[in-house]
Amino acid sequence: MKRYELIVIGAGPAGLSAAVEAANAGMSVAVFDENARPGGQLFKQIHKFFGSKEHQAKIRGFRIGQQLLKQAEESGVEVHLNSVVMGIFDLGEITVQHGDGVCHYKGDSILIATGACENMVPFDGWTLPGVMGAGAAQTMMNLHGVQPGSRVLMVGSGNVGLVVSFQLLQAGVEVAAVIDAAPQIGGYGVHAAKLARIGVPFYLSHTIVKAEGTDHVTGAVIAQVDESFRPIAGTEKHLDVDTVCIAVGLSPMSQLARMAGCEMTEKGGAVPVVDEYGQTSIPGLFVAGDVGGIEEASSAMIGGRIAGAAAARRSGYLPEEEFREKASALKASLGQLHEGMFSPKNKGRRDLTVTDEGYLLSKTLLHHGYLSEEEVAGFPGAAPGKSAGIHPVIECTQNIPCNPCQDACRFGCIRVGDHMTALPAVAENARCVGCGMCVASCPGQAIFLVNDEEEAGTATVTLPYEFLPVPEKGAKGVALGRDGRVVCPAEVVEAKTAGFMDGTVLLTMRVPLEMSMKARFFKTGEGTK
Amino acid sequence: MRIQKHPILDRIQKGRQVTFSLDGKPMQGYEGEPIAAALLAAGVRVHRYTTKARQPRGIFCAIGRCTDCVMVVDGKPNVRTCVTPLKEGMRVQTQVGISAKKESDDHETI
Repeated sequence: MKRYELIVIGAGPAGLSAAVEAANAGMSVAVFDENARPGGQLFKQIHKFFGSKEHQAKIRGFRIGQQLLKQAEESGVEVHLNSVVMGIFDLGEITVQHGDGVCHYKGDSILIATGACENMVPFDGWTLPGVMGAGAAQTMMNLHGVQPGSRVLMVGSGNVGLVVSFQLLQAGVEVAAVIDAAPQIGGYGVHAAKLARIGVPFYLSHTIVKAEGTDHVTGAVIAQVDESFRPIAGTEKHLDVDTVCIAVGLSPMSQLARMAGCEMTEKGGAVPVVDEYGQTSIPGLFVAGDVGGIEEASSAMIGGRIAGAAAARRSGYLPEEEFREKASALKASLGQLHEGMFSPKNKGRRDLTVTDEGYLLSKTLLHHGYLSEEEVAGFPGAAPGKSAGIHPVIECTQNIPCNPCQDACRFGCIRVGDHMTALPAVAENARCVGCGMCVASCPGQAIFLVNDEEEAGTATVTLPYEFLPVPEKGAKGVALGRDGRVVCPAEVVEAKTAGFMDGTVLLTMRVPLEMSMKARFFKTGEGTK
Repeated sequence: MRIQKHPILDRIQKGRQVTFSLDGKPMQGYEGEPIAAALLAAGVRVHRYTTKARQPRGIFCAIGRCTDCVMVVDGKPNVRTCVTPLKEGMRVQTQVGISAKKESDDHETI
């Protein structure tokens, strides 16, 4: 039986971060993961992460995964793949299934970072092939390069449903609609707005009644729900889809913690009770990441580092003072991600009507996925008349922990302030040179450059574009509004790419002057909708 | 359908192309990708039929948890195709209950 100072179960963002932290402190660390590849769900995350520089904001998830694997390798962490941890026993012993055999290992400390699995919602036809988790669709397209279907209904408007819907579009799959039984969109408004301006409809207070088909999905029926979430007869609507994706939340996979005898509590599923550093009721047994309560990858990585450091302290590798200093810095960083409208303490709240600054929250954004033109003008990132000539228009209207736009502008035109969740504001005397760095760096794709003084009677709008094919200079088509409807003819005047923009193209289109605050997406050809 | 070119991932790295069989019929896929991915790319959605009600099942979680996508692989039933890497010459069969589908049931496949 081989012994390690720390055994980590799960090679996702939390587990790997903990392993690296502990190994860098000098511990011998082994990580076991049942999958063939390490990284957990990070390699499926192809969008740019939110947060600030220290949270690796504006870097795509899979690149963060690559960095984490490199750190694990450099720090001497042993990663055992295709290794299913079957049980945790007294005195830090675990059993691991490799292939058809079972091996025993012993850890002075053990850290469980097994993540979460997708929740499901049963309905007529939910077992048909073609009904799958949103994460399953993401796995197939982003890891294996296979489209999960040709036309998808997304059930659930939380961040997973919104992000995966956008990724489906990027993979060339149509999204027929995003529905949610709740009366308002659950995820970030900026994620919803990316879908709305491409023309994806949202149906709030709607549920799926049926997946049609005999051998696989050939259609779906949705219906409006009443206040008790029961379908209202007569409101049924048929959608032509061959795939239904379910994104109705995640549940912690805490079975090992329960098996080990940890004291458990309820937090969106059964989770072990932990102290401030992730240690369970069993000394030397830690948890980090989603298994301790559902959040997202950035928090999981910080939580992992805190627990990894705590394990190092326990084994005498980190002196008390050094540990406290490290832990308090990490907790401060985690605290920043825990602020704002979508923070763990505000989870599921639907009674918020104003931002921290007192701006009225957009109702059209919550109910239809886009801001109305009148609403946009009221926010500090888009106030009209602030700048002559080219200037950024920031359509970021909710308090979310994110500030790369502030760092992106060399001229200090954009200010978020010390509180990462504050709304970005464009300075009165903004000296915008039109570089587009802010457009490329916004993980929410919510920044546009508008030039009202381009030529007489016309304006240009620069938008972030992450689809193929990229329209070429001179391409003619139409501009779509925030709601995805055609607003005017448009012509591409520039399509700028650069390595540091990592796949985000800055597409500049020329539109009639009066359309500069309406046109927000470009579609080649004469498409109408 | 396979994604030929992706705006963010460009071309998704694949192993060499290999031939395997589904219910005796030759199929193409890439070595090392999950069997389920190769089947999905070929438009195959039904992986098995349940024991009692003979209801179809396919990819559901794609991470090896739900066991909806199990098939008979090289004669072994209940193999999770979403986490089992494809190899040259693999014999994959639609599973009915816990057995391979009989040749006479062939009209049920796509």
